[in-house]
Amino acid sequence: MKINIFHMYPDLLNLYGDIGNITSLKKRCEWRGIEANIVDFSLSNERDVNDADIFFMGGGSDRGQGIVYSHFLKYKNSVSDAIEDGSVFLAICGGYQLLGESYIDADGNKIPGLGVFDYTTESEEGRLIGNVVIENNLGLKPKTIVGFENHGGRTYHSYNALGSVVVGNGNNGKDRLEGMIYKNCIGTYLHGPILPKNPHLSDHIILSALKRKYDIKELEKLDDNQEYAAHNNVLELYSDGRSKEQ
Amino acid sequence: MNATALPGKVALRINPELLSTLNSRCKKKVIITGTNGKTTTNNLINHILHSEYDDVLSNLRGANMAQGVASAFLNDTKKEYDWGVFEVDEGSFPNIVKYLKPDYVVITNFFRDQLDRFGEIENTSKIVYEALKPLETTLILNADDPMVSKFKDLNKKNVYYGVEKSRFSTLDQRVVESRFCPVCTNSLDYEYFNYGQLGKYVCSQCGFENPEYDYKITSIKYSEDAYHFKIDNSGKIHDVIFRYDGIYNAYNCCAAIAFSIEAGLDMEKVTQRIENFEYKLGRMENIEFKNKMVKIVLVKNPIGLSEVLKSISNDQRRKSILFILNDNPADGTDVSWIWDADVEVIHNIKNLKSVHCAGIRAQDIALRLKYAEYTDKIVEIDKNIEDSIETVLAEDVDIVYILPTYTAVYQTRDIIMGHLNQTSARIPRLREIIKSKIGN
Repeated sequence: MKINIFHMYPDLLNLYGDIGNITSLKKRCEWRGIEANIVDFSLSNERDVNDADIFFMGGGSDRGQGIVYSHFLKYKNSVSDAIEDGSVFLAICGGYQLLGESYIDADGNKIPGLGVFDYTTESEEGRLIGNVVIENNLGLKPKTIVGFENHGGRTYHSYNALGSVVVGNGNNGKDRLEGMIYKNCIGTYLHGPILPKNPHLSDHIILSALKRKYDIKELEKLDDNQEYAAHNNVLELYSDGRSKEQ
Repeated sequence: MNATALPGKVALRINPELLSTLNSRCKKKVIITGTNGKTTTNNLINHILHSEYDDVLSNLRGANMAQGVASAFLNDTKKEYDWGVFEVDEGSFPNIVKYLKPDYVVITNFFRDQLDRFGEIENTSKIVYEALKPLETTLILNADDPMVSKFKDLNKKNVYYGVEKSRFSTLDQRVVESRFCPVCTNSLDYEYFNYGQLGKYVCSQCGFENPEYDYKITSIKYSEDAYHFKIDNSGKIHDVIFRYDGIYNAYNCCAAIAFSIEAGLDMEKVTQRIENFEYKLGRMENIEFKNKMVKIVLVKNPIGLSEVLKSISNDQRRKSILFILNDNPADGTDVSWIWDADVEVIHNIKNLKSVHCAGIRAQDIALRLKYAEYTDKIVEIDKNIEDSIETVLAEDVDIVYILPTYTAVYQTRDIIMGHLNQTSARIPRLREIIKSKIGN
């Protein structure tokens, strides 16, 4: 088995250790004998987006995101179609915002997004920074997903959320929801990076991608003791005993 | 957290003009700012200036926000100083230079560090750039960092330093912070990288490139636990030996030399001081412990960690490594940076007997090692720092590398010093240290 993981604009969108998500996906495939082909998609390396089994898009600086927006706009329809067709997409922070309709900055200027989804992000006073614990809506066990958020924008939408906030702020610090799910597309504010300490989510993404290509129902189990030791350490340190399980 | 900054914080509240007083009591001032290398460069410059001047004031322990700079003064109150040498955090730079007017500003580099405080990388250099505009000062600029060399358009008196291509240079770099032209945002072409985005670059679109060096380091070699290199000041060449690891230290030395010569010191004397420099404050310290060596090196961001691991791979001795990862505010509460670091270079380290992980986020660094597929040796995890240090000190190796984050540095040092006091161990070259303190 083989999957193509498109790392979108890794030279421009590369904040907060998000590359660790690629490391997690790649290793967890390789440890099971699944070939993981990482494609660094960027200005100087444009590829056919229909070849992607998994898209991963992180966040970048304002300048980086500006460059990505103008370049990626021409792929808007193909990416929309791919997501509609069940392609797997993980978008984090700036990447999550970029998939939406627009971003309204501190001065009230409306900066267009790719418009794959119709949500809007608004800049509000104060950055939301800190450890986050959510309970996921994907039906994954354990229920908790841990991460670290660092964003000034607040996102409002009526899609399904990735989870409900136990600790931290999430989408906007108001409705206690974090992230979004649409078909196999996940948007989230969680860095950390999110996947290494949440191997259940990493495997969910890998399995969703494999299911579209192969007749497969589940993944071979891995020894995840170290992953959950790090996961549980965050719960112990930052969730005050809330949402502890296993 | 940052204990060395506390006394100053209290004092600054009482007298917000303390920095102005500090300004008027120092005849000349130099400020060192940038992401990495501030504390080392500060300590080097302080050490060099002491060869010529009696009264030099510095915030040597690396407390570099407004309070920390002021605490330097509280610990050492004289009427007048020949020199004030201050390392200043990039974020605090604008506030500090409102009161403290530097004759020289050394800018080391701009990397990703504690983004949870500053937001994003480009903001950091912009903060310093804007604050420099009204100042009358000489800039000592790292020519090899495009984020720093672009400061030339401030049209101050500019002095450029850098490090030429060596066997430590690479053609590619995993951790590249900003490979884009700071002038026109086109992507930069690199002939080689020394580390991070530091190297020889040119923009094919607007022609932006390394300015010509006033001071450059050439012919770097590593032997007998020290770096040997030459400093070339516009054709005048001198040999330099520095006992601390890493290409990043060649940059720190070059910055300190460039400043010192510009400030009127003699090159012979300067290189001599570099050679007998001893780090005494735990951020980067060599301690003899029984029949082994213990090296403590502060790690706080991806570039730093990658470079430290790379430099350890030059060491052939039998060794252990202890990582200590904390996530207190002074460390940066976000530990995700360990995933940006090139931890995979640990595979190049020879004669590595064991690896230990400690600190509040010990599990995170252990997980990072798992994904670097470091499975050759057992990675031991024990959050308790004291226990981990004791375990590693008891191992049968020639050298122990301890890599702590900020808040763990002083704790580590205190624990080791506590052990030292109970044994016959000693700090190397103790005589030289005493000499440098009391004079010859």
